[in-house]
Amino acid sequence: MTANIDARADESATERQDAGRREVFQYAIRRFGVYLFTLWAAITVAFFIFRLVPGDPMNILLGNLTRAEGRQRDAAAEEAIIAHYREIFGMDDPLPLQYVNYLRKAVLGGLDLGPSFVEYPAQTKDLVFRRMPWTLGIFTTSVFLAWLIGTGLGALIGWMQRHGLSQLAVILSTLLQITPQYLVALGLIIYAGYTLRILPAGGPYARHLQPEWSWEFISSLIQHAILPMLSNMIVIGAGFTLGMRALMISVLGEDYLTFARAKGLSPFTVLKDYAFRNALIPQVTGLAIIIGATLNGTFIIEILFQYPGLGTLFVQAMGLRDFNTMQAIVLFSIFAVLTLTLIVDLALPLLDPRIRRVA
Amino acid sequence: MSGSALLEIRGLSAGLQGRRSITQVVSGVNLDVHGGEILGVVGESGCGKSTLAAAIMRLLVLPQVLQSGTMTMRLEDGKTVELMELPDNELRHLRWRHLSYIPQGSMNSLNPVLRVERQMTDTLIQHGLSKKEALDRSIAALELVNLDTKVLQSYPHELSGGMRQRVIIASAVSMRPALIVADELTTALDVVTQRQILQELAAIRDELGATIILITHDMGVVAQIADRVAVMYAGKIAELGTVNDIFEDPQHPYARGLIGSIPRESGQRVEGLQGEAPSPWNYPTGCRFHPRCPEVFERCNQHTPTLQQRAMDRWVACHLYDAETEFDG
Ligand SMILES: Nc1ncnc2c1ncn2[C@@H]1O[C@H](COP(=O)(O)OP(=O)(O)O)[C@@H](O)[C@H]1O
Ligand code: SF4
Ligand SMILES: [Mg+2]
Repeated sequence: MTANIDARADESATERQDAGRREVFQYAIRRFGVYLFTLWAAITVAFFIFRLVPGDPMNILLGNLTRAEGRQRDAAAEEAIIAHYREIFGMDDPLPLQYVNYLRKAVLGGLDLGPSFVEYPAQTKDLVFRRMPWTLGIFTTSVFLAWLIGTGLGALIGWMQRHGLSQLAVILSTLLQITPQYLVALGLIIYAGYTLRILPAGGPYARHLQPEWSWEFISSLIQHAILPMLSNMIVIGAGFTLGMRALMISVLGEDYLTFARAKGLSPFTVLKDYAFRNALIPQVTGLAIIIGATLNGTFIIEILFQYPGLGTLFVQAMGLRDFNTMQAIVLFSIFAVLTLTLIVDLALPLLDPRIRRVA
Repeated sequence: MSGSALLEIRGLSAGLQGRRSITQVVSGVNLDVHGGEILGVVGESGCGKSTLAAAIMRLLVLPQVLQSGTMTMRLEDGKTVELMELPDNELRHLRWRHLSYIPQGSMNSLNPVLRVERQMTDTLIQHGLSKKEALDRSIAALELVNLDTKVLQSYPHELSGGMRQRVIIASAVSMRPALIVADELTTALDVVTQRQILQELAAIRDELGATIILITHDMGVVAQIADRVAVMYAGKIAELGTVNDIFEDPQHPYARGLIGSIPRESGQRVEGLQGEAPSPWNYPTGCRFHPRCPEVFERCNQHTPTLQQRAMDRWVACHLYDAETEFDG
């Protein structure tokens, strides 16, 4: 009888571990498939949405030109110019064909997303690549910092949920979390930037400097990044804090926590290996969600801080109905968000041995 | 009661903290646990058994609160400790070395993100063993419950319910504690596994000389392996005695009802308890069993019966025996 139980236990344990590895692999493949599909769907939606925005880019462009030069409009010349541009931008083709061409060039043509209006004849791709580091720099750094701080703080106040300081922290975080990001940004600009004058509140670096590997430039870069990053971090970090606190409190009610305390483990081990490790898993998923949900907030912050990132570029492109550029920005944003999310999701099985169950 | 008990519980009360007041769940429990015995604590679901177990372990968490009482435990070296007054860090060192707990809901008592090995040895290492000793002890403990050492490399979700329960038991006995409190050890398991695990538990008692408080709602489990039984109703001990005495001649009407409710294999009609056990918010006055008692009489709804000794090792809390007990002195 005993031998029987043993044999069965051995077999099922090894089998289950093998099956486990297989399933994690399948999970990764599946997750990558989802990634590619979402990317395609996003490109498609972005393509059609921007072509449905009212206002013909050509008319707006010409209107701007004539106004700028103060000349009379010459109908024949305009016709010719418009025809020329429409050809360059491939706008005379029927919409489905435009779509297919767009996809073909984007995928096979080495990310050829067409020329831009805002800085014609600069390629949209180059424009976006030039601006993207600013956005991603601010965005990823602030989200990850906010996540680290929020996760640590939330774990602590969840662990000491009945402590007076924890309750104070909850009230503060709740207030910060419901504050719109742009209000925080404006508050920081006015207070830290203009009233106290402790930090610069506009532009990517001091005006008199040129980008170079010098300490002066880098320190100016960092100083200029602090306030925009803080604007992003305060609201997002408060959300992460509250999220982690709730996760901690729910984990503290689990049976395995009672058992951990019953075993006589030190409180620190209980906190670290039993409570925190388990609360961390959904908190990482939360990071993936927040990455997707907060990039647009960063765009607004860029505009408020005159930061030369994608958000600022987007506003310029919007003014001209430059859908090539708008579309490229949206595309790169989606690409960045989906890729970051993919990385986070693929990291999950490292944290959670049960991942295949929830996937 | 004798002074030789391993654990002496006196006047133990615990309750649930509400907004304004505490609702008592366990009321003034007195209990002696003798060295080497398996003491069954039995009663319907909701009558406060788990609260009592957690109170003994000092593991109540809000809203559960300890209210009063003493719990004196005798250690191997003859010294006694008062569990109620022990500071947390000293209590921590007592745990697993002297006092182990197998909680209700053992299915979820293992940490889902750590391998079994880590969960068994981290405890032993913190109790002062070397890594090697910790691993050896864990392996020896797994053998006691007929598990192969391969489970050490598994995560909890890779194990069946019975295997998980065995890992918990192995962990609980790995430091050879004097006292083990096991709450609903076999409730979530199939009948065959239940029987095997109970046998393993009895073997562990024999081999380690451990004392076990076995909490269950199942009279059948008690009949299988307990030496003595405490029948609990609505947070109080109704009757206490040896398994033989109580099954042959239950004296408290609730104990009779419980025994009458055990399903018979012959398929006889079950004459058992009517109604449901009250929740702590509606414990009746007087004898808490009186609304359901087939033998209720005038005294019962006004006066609270106390646990009285009726014979060697036989205690009953019921007004039916008031006069006799008084005459016996
Ligand atoms: N944490 C808690 N919150 C609310 N009610 C509780 C809690 N713990 C126990 N109770 C209540 O106390 C009573 C006794 O519970 P318990 O000790 O678990 O009984 P048993 O183990 O005998 O089933 C039940 O009515 C239960 O609902
Ligand atoms: S005291 Fe009365 S009501 Fe309670 S069990 Fe005895 S006879 Fe029944
Ligand atoms: Mg219970």
